[in-house]
This record gives sequence, C-alpha cells and structure tokens, in this order.
Amino acid sequence: MLTLRSILRPTRRVHAHCDVPCGIYDPEQARIEAESCARIIEKFHASTDELFRQRCVVVKEARAEETKHHIDVLWHDYFKPEHLEQFPDLHDVCWKASKAASKVKQSTDPAAATELLALIDRIDEMWKGTGGLGKTRLNGRPS
Amino acid sequence: MSRRRPLVALLGAAAGIAAGAAASRWLDVVEVRGGSMAPSLLPGDRLLVESRSYQYRAPRPGEVVLAADPRASERELIKRVATIDDVGAAADLRGDAPDESTDSREFGAVPLSAIRWRAAFRYWPPERVGRL
Repeated sequence: MLTLRSILRPTRRVHAHCDVPCGIYDPEQARIEAESCARIIEKFHASTDELFRQRCVVVKEARAEETKHHIDVLWHDYFKPEHLEQFPDLHDVCWKASKAASKVKQSTDPAAATELLALIDRIDEMWKGTGGLGKTRLNGRPS
Repeated sequence: MSRRRPLVALLGAAAGIAAGAAASRWLDVVEVRGGSMAPSLLPGDRLLVESRSYQYRAPRPGEVVLAADPRASERELIKRVATIDDVGAAADLRGDAPDESTDSREFGAVPLSAIRWRAAFRYWPPERVGRL
C-alpha cells in the first residue's frame, strides 16, 4: 500500500564515504617503534651473549617493520594534496623515512636508527603543521 | 505559533511530489551513510534526489550529487562537485569534510556519465529540513 511513510522511507543508501572513518593519526606511534629499534641496537652492541643478540635482531626487525607501516599509513591515509601544497617536501620526507625504516630493519647500525628518528620528527612537524593533535586525536590525549 | 506547521506542509508537498514522480522514476529518496559530507549532510539524513536536471545540463560546481563509486560500482557515493574539467567530461568530487573523505583526491575525476542524480532537498530530520 502506498502510504506517506512508505513513500518517504528511503530504500537507497548513499555513502558519504571514507575508507577509514576513524581519522586518528599520530606519528608518535612510528616514533615509539623506532625508539625501540634504536635501544635494541644499543643493547645488541653491548652484549656478548649470542642468543640475546639473535633475539635483538629478530625483535628489531619486527619493530622496524611496524615503524614502516605507521609511516606508510600517515603518508597514504593522513596526508592529503592540500598538505603537500603546504609542505612540498612531504613525499620526499615520507619516502626517505620509509627507506630509513627498511635500513634499520636490515642493519645494526646505530646511525640508521638516528636518521630514522630524525625523519619521523620531520613527519611529526608536518603533522603538527596540518592540524596535529587537535584534528587527529581524541580530546584528552596527554600532551 | 506552531513550529511544526511549515514542516507538515513541506512533508506533504514532498510526499505529493514523490508520489507523482514515482511512476516516472526521476525523483527518489535516499538515506545518507557516513560522515564525509559533514557538517552539511550527516549520517541518517534523508534526501530527495532528482535525475531530471542532468538530462538537460551538466552538473555544476557546488552541487551535491550521487555517483557510482569508481572502485566499487555497487556502492553509490554522495559528494559535492568541486570542479568540472575543461572539456566537460569529468567532475572532481569532494567530501565537505576533507579529513574524513575518500574522494577524487584518491580515485581521480569521475566521468559525468556516472553522475545522474542531484541531491535537491533534505526532508529529515525535521530540524534541518531545507534545500541543499
């Protein structure tokens, strides 16, 4: 039967779509994993216990992979074309940071970890410059 | 003075038009999902959409349109036309909430042939009834 209610009840759903509606991003996530790598590399060099050193390598590789993932999420999902206008070296920095994470995964060179941290800090500056905490974290996040 | 009287009139008019157009299928009602059009459109908003305008003219920047998702054609997107390209063949579609929208910035411009419906009027919720 044709009633007002049936006429006005939509059968079509239209999507104001967003792939990841959560919109939560923070380079701190990458930074923590990268710090983990830096500390593990120190411990690796300080130890003579072969088993411990092997564990260091395994854990470091996993943490480096996580770092790379978090960098990529910021690069692919958070940063938008208008952010690129604001920071023209955005792609270059993210690309280098991704590569630096690979380097940390492969090597036990402390300098590689230092470079990775420095690049993550540059991503952090761009994140802060494009909204940062206020836009991409829930209220109440400790600063 | 009742605040509801204009609303009832609008609902009645919308229903009348919808009923009249049902046979010709150039008017329809849709429900919005997702938040990429906030604050102009919110999830749960119900809209009157029409497909008559674009039989006679191209979509214009600023209009809110429905388009098949280029990456999953069974899904229908609702976005705002940002620009039309120089040759008038494709539209750049954007969500009003850029930080929470997957749109032409990711999937590129959408051919105008994929855009048939224009969102014309919101009839629900009552406190935000009005033209779009």
